[in-house]
Amino acid sequence: MKGDRRPFLPGSLGLAAGAATTALLARPQYHVIRRRERSRVAILSAGSYSENLERILRHGLELFHLDIRDKSVLLKPNLVDYTPGNHINTHPLLVAAAAECFRRLGAKTVLVGEGPGHQRDTGLVLCESGMADQLHQQKVRFVDLNRDELVEKPLLANYTGMKSLWLPRSILVSDFVVSMPKVKTHHWSGVSLSMKNMFGVVPGAKYGWPKNILHWKGIDRSILDICATVPVHFVIADAIVAMEGNGPLNGTPRPLNRIVLADDPVAADATCARLMGLDPEKITHIRAGAQFLGNSSIALMDQLGEPVRAPVTPFQLVPEFEYLRETNFLQRKS
Amino acid sequence: MDDPQRANLLCLEQLVARQLPQGGWPFHSRAAQAAVEPTALTLLALPSTLIRERERAIRFLLQIQNPNGSWPAFVGDGGGGSGFTGLALYVLCRCGVGGKSTDRAIRWLLHSRGWESHWLWKWKFRTTDRRVRFDPDKFGWPWMPKTVSWVVPTSYSLLALKNCIPGSQEGLLQLRIRRGVEMLYDRICPQGGWNAGNGVVYGRPLAPHPDATAIALLALGGEPVNDFVTASLDWLERHAQFCFAPWSLAWTTLALNAFRRASQHLISRLAVIVASDEIDDCATLAVVSMALTCANGLNAFGVHS
Repeated sequence: MKGDRRPFLPGSLGLAAGAATTALLARPQYHVIRRRERSRVAILSAGSYSENLERILRHGLELFHLDIRDKSVLLKPNLVDYTPGNHINTHPLLVAAAAECFRRLGAKTVLVGEGPGHQRDTGLVLCESGMADQLHQQKVRFVDLNRDELVEKPLLANYTGMKSLWLPRSILVSDFVVSMPKVKTHHWSGVSLSMKNMFGVVPGAKYGWPKNILHWKGIDRSILDICATVPVHFVIADAIVAMEGNGPLNGTPRPLNRIVLADDPVAADATCARLMGLDPEKITHIRAGAQFLGNSSIALMDQLGEPVRAPVTPFQLVPEFEYLRETNFLQRKS
Repeated sequence: MDDPQRANLLCLEQLVARQLPQGGWPFHSRAAQAAVEPTALTLLALPSTLIRERERAIRFLLQIQNPNGSWPAFVGDGGGGSGFTGLALYVLCRCGVGGKSTDRAIRWLLHSRGWESHWLWKWKFRTTDRRVRFDPDKFGWPWMPKTVSWVVPTSYSLLALKNCIPGSQEGLLQLRIRRGVEMLYDRICPQGGWNAGNGVVYGRPLAPHPDATAIALLALGGEPVNDFVTASLDWLERHAQFCFAPWSLAWTTLALNAFRRASQHLISRLAVIVASDEIDDCATLAVVSMALTCANGLNAFGVHS
């Protein structure tokens, strides 16, 4: 059988580019180590958004014995834009459930904050996605991180060479930052998970819409610098309906029926990648992040919920990132 | 209260109350950090009777102008220049401010350009990076130096260059206006309207954004009306039917009104929104105020096709 070589070209180029970038990022360029000895992860089942998400989350959070009392909590969902029928944002019901759970855990304040990357009208995304209604019902305050007061912070890693970033005051003064990504593929970084979600804290009022300077400096490098400087204390990843293919905006919904909790963003992202059928060690920012931001190895994670199982069919990716699929996938399938 | 005039008075009262001691406005009502976009938009919204507030705002803008002629995005920002320079210059020109400050700003705008115009990036976008399809010969203005052109800073810059009186370099000014207009048409979404930048990525059309579409249309005021403009106005009209977000709705109103499309129903809707909920964001409040003024036959952007 004669194979069509064309699809291999972008894949091979992607593999080569990925390997080159990974090699460049292998050299430690961080001034802080957030990685701990072991990380805790909980994979929770959730059949759909109509389930009692608050109950599921509450039980999940109890596994971590978090001390949130009198802490200011900032939930950072992924709100990119709104296109009817597209699962591109963290679901508002999950955000509302998380807000209620942290209140019950004794948080002093719970705030939801996001700075959409493309859409300048954050209010429009809030309205059209249904997030505004949920936050209104729960009486949760929202802060537009694109237009917040800004403070210049020296970067605690030097992958971009930017030295400092202007960051929103609301995120810097929060005691407990929870990254709440939508689990999805991304046509420029392979995946968009809890670490990539932190792009949303970079303010559009300074860096524009989109935050183009971060693209020019390198998405993986920017992710590492941001996550070194703005600690992610906890992750609640929305994988109830994930996205595959041409994410972050034009992919295809892919139900995974899972919520992933973790006290470590690298562990969360590595686990989500495995749930997507991808090899986290091939994802540049996860691999580099495992040097100082958290643990990517399963051996260094305590699984508090369900075990990690790769899907029967791995997630679809754009050709440049097809190399991210787990290499032993076909063997396991057979 | 759904009377546009009363709603506008409420907006103006709130804006006056939120002016910071140094003369600028912040984005959030509780913030103390003045920024260029809310200040410039508020200055444009304030009626000429509010002389003291306007003079303080003008003084503030002139004080924070960078030595190279550009404007920072906010107080404390670096001196490299931001994508709000065009807006600041446009507003100052509309307020009758001229002289060295505006001349320096014009010079900066004439030499600021999206990086796709650089030969190396032109080559990259023509050969290796085909995920986004655009013509790098058609360039505008970036949000930050050393990045590519985007729709909103290009539109703000076009508004400025079309409305200011250049001291010199008339030829370059006309060339940059022409390139900027070409860039907007090049990046238009297939269904009309504009997203943040490209209209197509990875072969998939992107959805337009109402505010970017409206600002681009205002920047295209005075250009011959063509199919691109008509399709974009049609898209804005359709989207506006279900739009209740004040920032997008207000920009939409200003653009439709400028192109003499029906906007009275949108003005009424904005008046209801103002009455029902306080608008926290000063930039949004200013654009809403300008849109409400359209009820009196006035359009702060003063473009009529």
